[in-house]
Amino acid sequence: MVEEDTLIPVEDYLKAGVHIGTQHKTNDMEDFIYKVRDDGLYIFDIGKTDQRIRTAARFLSRFDPSKILAVSAREYGKRPAELFAKIVGGKSSVGRMIPGMLTNPNLDHYIEPEIVVATDPIGDQQALKEANTSGIPVIALCDTNNMISNVDLVIPANNKGRKALSMVYWLLSRETVKEQERLADDEKFKYEVEDFEAEI
Amino acid sequence: MSDEDEIRCVSCGITITGPAFTSFPCPECGEVTIARCKNCRKQSNHYKCSECGFIGP
Repeated sequence: MVEEDTLIPVEDYLKAGVHIGTQHKTNDMEDFIYKVRDDGLYIFDIGKTDQRIRTAARFLSRFDPSKILAVSAREYGKRPAELFAKIVGGKSSVGRMIPGMLTNPNLDHYIEPEIVVATDPIGDQQALKEANTSGIPVIALCDTNNMISNVDLVIPANNKGRKALSMVYWLLSRETVKEQERLADDEKFKYEVEDFEAEI
Repeated sequence: MSDEDEIRCVSCGITITGPAFTSFPCPECGEVTIARCKNCRKQSNHYKCSECGFIGP
């Protein structure tokens, strides 16, 4: 495991279950896996997750905030994705994504984002497919069982847990706002992790 | 089109034509523009930034 200063204490990551993967792993995600537990669950290297969140925030800050699109078909990812989009100044598409949203200019809901943030490459495959067709870069939260086709930047994390999703999106929002220079390093972020948590 | 105008995929080196490719600043340093062809995106081939050495995706 990478030993360095993390954005939040490692205990908080562990408490939220960000490091918990699935019982399946893909070759794509092998680089981000730390070990396999006795019960067969693959565990992420928290240091790499933390580093990727920083990188993703830096990456997002280089785009016009209004051109960021957060998508989540996953139930527990809806609230975090919506709040993330609201905080960074972007747009969100939660639930079923209407086909053509990124590719068909004749539709009323057609938008032209410059970057897409996906919660799960499996659930959000329509968004990934359309982003690929339109040549839009994609950042995705990927679990150990995900393929990373059409993804340009992976954030290795548990993308199924309610608390894990809220933690990752909270950190991503905070770091992006910092990179956008809308929040000083010593200033307190006005949202709490609990604000990002979806209701049960 | 001159050689300088050509966009090449950073993973496979192929000259990219058509709309189905993506280009973006390096996620880590932002200094270099990284272009990925449709096939390399689909096959999730690694890319490396020539400036900072960042390896993605």
